[in-house]
Amino acid sequence: MNNCIVAFCCEHSAYPAADLAGKLKLHYPENLRIIRVPCAGRVDLIHILKAFEKGAAAVMVMGCEGGACHHMTGNTRAKERVKYCNLLLREIEADGRLVAMFNLSPNAPHKFVGAVNEITKRIKESGR
Amino acid sequence: METKIGVFICNCSGTLNNIDFDAVVKKVVELPGVTSIKFISPLCLEEGKKKMLSCIREENIEKVVVAACSPEFKEHVFREVLENAGLNGHLFSMANIKEQCSWVHEGDVTGKVVELIKMAVSRTRLLQPVKMNNFSVNREVLVVGGGFEAINAALQLSRAGLRTTLLEREAVLGTGTTELENLCGFDINAMVMEVKGDENIEILAPAEVIETSGKIGDFNVRIRKGGEEISRKYGALVIATGYQTKLALESKLKSDVNIVSQEKLCHMLEDPELRIRPRTIGFMLDFADENSRLPTLATLNNALAAKRKWGSEVYVFCKNVKVDSERIERLYQEARDCGVMFLKSDVSPKVAAENGKIKIEAKDIFLGEDINLTCDVLVAEECLLPAEETEALSSILNIRRDSRGFYQDENVHLYPVASEKKGIFFIGGCRGNLDLSRVLTDVSSVVVSIYKLLSSGNILAEVERVKVDPQKCVACLTCIRICPHNAIQLVRVDGGKEVAEICDLACEACGICAAMCPAKAITFQGYRDEEILAQVETIGES
Repeated sequence: MNNCIVAFCCEHSAYPAADLAGKLKLHYPENLRIIRVPCAGRVDLIHILKAFEKGAAAVMVMGCEGGACHHMTGNTRAKERVKYCNLLLREIEADGRLVAMFNLSPNAPHKFVGAVNEITKRIKESGR
Repeated sequence: METKIGVFICNCSGTLNNIDFDAVVKKVVELPGVTSIKFISPLCLEEGKKKMLSCIREENIEKVVVAACSPEFKEHVFREVLENAGLNGHLFSMANIKEQCSWVHEGDVTGKVVELIKMAVSRTRLLQPVKMNNFSVNREVLVVGGGFEAINAALQLSRAGLRTTLLEREAVLGTGTTELENLCGFDINAMVMEVKGDENIEILAPAEVIETSGKIGDFNVRIRKGGEEISRKYGALVIATGYQTKLALESKLKSDVNIVSQEKLCHMLEDPELRIRPRTIGFMLDFADENSRLPTLATLNNALAAKRKWGSEVYVFCKNVKVDSERIERLYQEARDCGVMFLKSDVSPKVAAENGKIKIEAKDIFLGEDINLTCDVLVAEECLLPAEETEALSSILNIRRDSRGFYQDENVHLYPVASEKKGIFFIGGCRGNLDLSRVLTDVSSVVVSIYKLLSSGNILAEVERVKVDPQKCVACLTCIRICPHNAIQLVRVDGGKEVAEICDLACEACGICAAMCPAKAITFQGYRDEEILAQVETIGES
């Protein structure tokens, strides 16, 4: 997967935010691949791990802001799953920070780009 | 034989000029399953849709991938084309090559476009059709509450042709509406008379809800009325239980002759036999409760009345005067013109009772000076709280409440009056909305949404889009516990085994259950594990 970033984006928040980033012609690294999901809570551990197995440099799970999840608890469940995935990565001595949960609202394109840049920075720091 | 996938590419009237479409077409044609590839621009307008439709028909395409703009805006447009062509609307994916590719990257992005289309094609290959079905629903509505908003809602629902039951805890309708009557001049008695005369409205009072079960279109409600319990069926529930007020006073102070509520002051103002008119009146506003629109309205009204009727000196101690609802700005201006003094302070003033008078110490942040004031009457600030029954009712309905105890009002994504359970709505005071114009807006939006849902007697919904496989389900109850919309219940299937079942009408298709199910018994068409993994596996293949 030659160093792609996989982003699972909730269709109620992060996906529209990414669209808005496009409309504003903000720029972010070209290696980002967005997968649309109905809620961040739909993202399972297997989806994240499969991405790493295929060689992804980092995985982002992006959902609604805390307390504003369209499905009430989806973003907190996703966060727990990402936290668990962090532990798994550490266990195999990989950089746990390469999988991260981001919370943003649909009208936050700059935050979206900020998140992508943040994860790019982490990839560089981890030496990949 | 593999299904025929048609790929339609659009360059959005030439705005995507950093893509080499010829190269894209050459690459995409080689993908397994793709039988036809068409470049139509613009695809979303009438002409483009017609071309797409005829292409689907002529080439017997079974599944469709559209590489164009974001599905957020155009998914429904293309889905309609598919349905017109006789295909299932779910056999369709979009590759977002505009907002999430061409527009965010500089330089040639042909490689990424090919990859995005590949991802969409690999997902589409696995998609399965989802049927739609009409579910019949009960057309009766239950309105819980007997205040202004409940009566208003019942009247409007009845006018819309829906049979309505009004359930009130007290024996008489329209109690606890004095504030609205006093402040906004509503004739509540006339409304009560109208409700009583309406054939379409049944009144249950005094009565209370003791149990609810079921889903939208088919709620079973057990009601206790008098000594007996009755069971009824409704299509939708409206909760309008209102609010209560509490004086925000320090523990050493008590409400008495000198320290009064707004309501008491109102009575004093109307009392013709009042002997001593207070010469100085102090009001407190916006210190204890930030949601102070209704208290602001009451304060301004009463301050003006006291000024005009008694000629008293009136001081309003406030943090902020919130003028963002109807009439308040004008009243505020009027009050200032009449000589009502507004003293802005950051912290709550110190109040002490002394020799039958009230001493107030405050620091005005505009004057920058300490203010010591002795007044005859202090009108204490009122906090607005949810009605007593709110807590009990929320556990009966299995619906969450916000940090202040009001019904869920914090979720910015939801339609404001709707709850997380489809078919249950809130109006006015019980969700922390108090001033009149907002209450009326609430009533109208609830009536419109219920009319939309129930008026035809049928609701069109997807059948088994999210489905539990009874063979795999071990009835661990995980999904039932975590479903945010309460759409899952346990049922007994043939052979006596108990399994979880998802109600198609109540399901909001979030997929949380599909991710949580330890037995992987739940499949979510369109977002099955296979479909998501197929996309993941395609990334970076080239």
